[in-house]
Amino acid sequence: MKKLAVFAIIILIFGTVSPSLVNSVYAQNDPSILLPIAVQADKQIVNQLDKVYGDQIPNDIQILYDKGHGAVNQLDQSLPDDVEKAKQDFLLAMNSFMQISRIISQSSEKVVVVTVSDTSNRNLSDELDRLVKYVKSLETISKKYDIDTESDFIKIYDLIQELRKQANDLNEVSAGIKKIKIILDSIKNDIRESALEQRSDSIKRFFDRLLDQVDKQLTKAQDNGADQTQIDKGHELILEIRELLTKNQINDAKVIFVELKALMENIGYSIRIT
Amino acid sequence: MASFIEPIQLKQPLGDDGILFVRNESILDTMVKTPLLVASMIIVAALIPIQSSFSSTRDLDLIIYPDGSTHISTEIDIDPFLTDYELNLFGSTVDNLVVVGDNEFLLDASIMGDSVLIQTFGSSVITIDYDIHDLVSKQGRLWTFSLDSPSNFTLLLPKNSAIVGMINLPINMEIINDQNQLTLSPGKTEIDYLFSSTISNSIPDTNIETNYFPYAIIGVVSLIALIGSVIIIRSKQKNHKLMEPNEISKKNTTLDLETIFKLKSDLREDDKELVKFIFNSGGEALESELRKKFLQPRTTMWRAVKRLEREGVIEIEKKDLQNLVKLRKSMGEEE
Repeated sequence: MKKLAVFAIIILIFGTVSPSLVNSVYAQNDPSILLPIAVQADKQIVNQLDKVYGDQIPNDIQILYDKGHGAVNQLDQSLPDDVEKAKQDFLLAMNSFMQISRIISQSSEKVVVVTVSDTSNRNLSDELDRLVKYVKSLETISKKYDIDTESDFIKIYDLIQELRKQANDLNEVSAGIKKIKIILDSIKNDIRESALEQRSDSIKRFFDRLLDQVDKQLTKAQDNGADQTQIDKGHELILEIRELLTKNQINDAKVIFVELKALMENIGYSIRIT
Repeated sequence: MASFIEPIQLKQPLGDDGILFVRNESILDTMVKTPLLVASMIIVAALIPIQSSFSSTRDLDLIIYPDGSTHISTEIDIDPFLTDYELNLFGSTVDNLVVVGDNEFLLDASIMGDSVLIQTFGSSVITIDYDIHDLVSKQGRLWTFSLDSPSNFTLLLPKNSAIVGMINLPINMEIINDQNQLTLSPGKTEIDYLFSSTISNSIPDTNIETNYFPYAIIGVVSLIALIGSVIIIRSKQKNHKLMEPNEISKKNTTLDLETIFKLKSDLREDDKELVKFIFNSGGEALESELRKKFLQPRTTMWRAVKRLEREGVIEIEKKDLQNLVKLRKSMGEEE
């Protein structure tokens, strides 16, 4: 019996520790990838310096470049044996190159700082590519439901094709994208409605368990001397949610549930099934 | 009044006669109750996966477009007993948000500034896809990507872009359709890149080159398999004459595509494309190859492969820490 217990302990210890061992091995850095990244960056920096300064590279930049280039050479020598040194060399090289590229970009004659979040700076072709990805994911989801969206998607793809031809006309493309998004919002609503119908049974079961729990919490709050009007309001909301659920009005039930949740937080209880 | 409690330091030494002998065998029983220890270990072992599964990012994949906007695709394990889940987005200018729960059900989500409130209602895994425009800035010709990530993530850089600076160490780097894909660790990341027509993507896919240990194992296994197959072939040669011709034809490999699609007529179009690719690759392909071919995030491809496995079209084998996807030789076997 004792031997069995000791054996069980060993197995359990091994079972507990082994997944973390595997993970750490899997996540370990692969140092050999550092060299090609640094070499490529070095080449790009040389190109940039050549284009911008020709033979007259400013002294501070030359010092930085020498530091970075030297670190790349060191990195080459450190690999594969001295991984820690290789990591330091890599970071030193990439940091030097980063400083150089930033100095070059700041010292350009016409420095334009572009905020990508500004809609006008986005590339319309890229915008359409992203839209296609979004359309495709909704199309895949919609196929799971009993909703007729095929014609809508055909219309959307036709519109996208047309917009690609007019890629230079900013206004036209922006208006087209808005139009597509309106159709997609309507499809999304249809999917949501259909999803609710299909999920209604599981959502009802989920609510049932949740409301039972809230009921118990209200009783507990009452025992602890919470405001009676809040407790009564809580019970009223529970009844209202249950009634809406019996009528299959899940969206309305969700709205009331948000109100109930806020009320419970007000009296110091967070809603969750335990 | 005399004290009944005497400090241990003041106690007189026991002397030779007073030595307390304890039998070695009973130490475990005396000091630690073995069944209690076993029970505790079972509880700890059982709790570890639960703890790590609640609200943890399973996958995070980023794709940077040439205009600097970024597509984010993430899969998160969440507490299935929550009604809703609030996720911090990586910025506030978000487009094309799609949140999908268990069984690919579309979930309600409302964006509030730089976070999103998702009504999960019992989902245990959610997949979130969105485009964000806050992660990349541009100064002159230089583009800078910045992110403070809660987990490991992959970052696919645009075509013809070259990294010219970064502040942290990458875990891995791959080339996917002439684009560099980095795998990076959690924490703050800053990467400078620029576009250049002179870029040759000469960075090799070093991931395959470096890990020699699995290859050594594969080598040993292959050697054993080779020896085994030689023995089997020799023993079969003896019985060869007794084998009927239709027995041989039964050993033929996979079904043809037409038969597969006829047997599984309700397969999705994108799944059919996967099946075609696997078929054309000799009936098997690594999941990573499928991802590269179809440019799909890890999670999407994993779900597709799982779907095909459920349909009984393919089987998944582990090969060198990767998933090898094989077309099944018979579709009716386990249905």
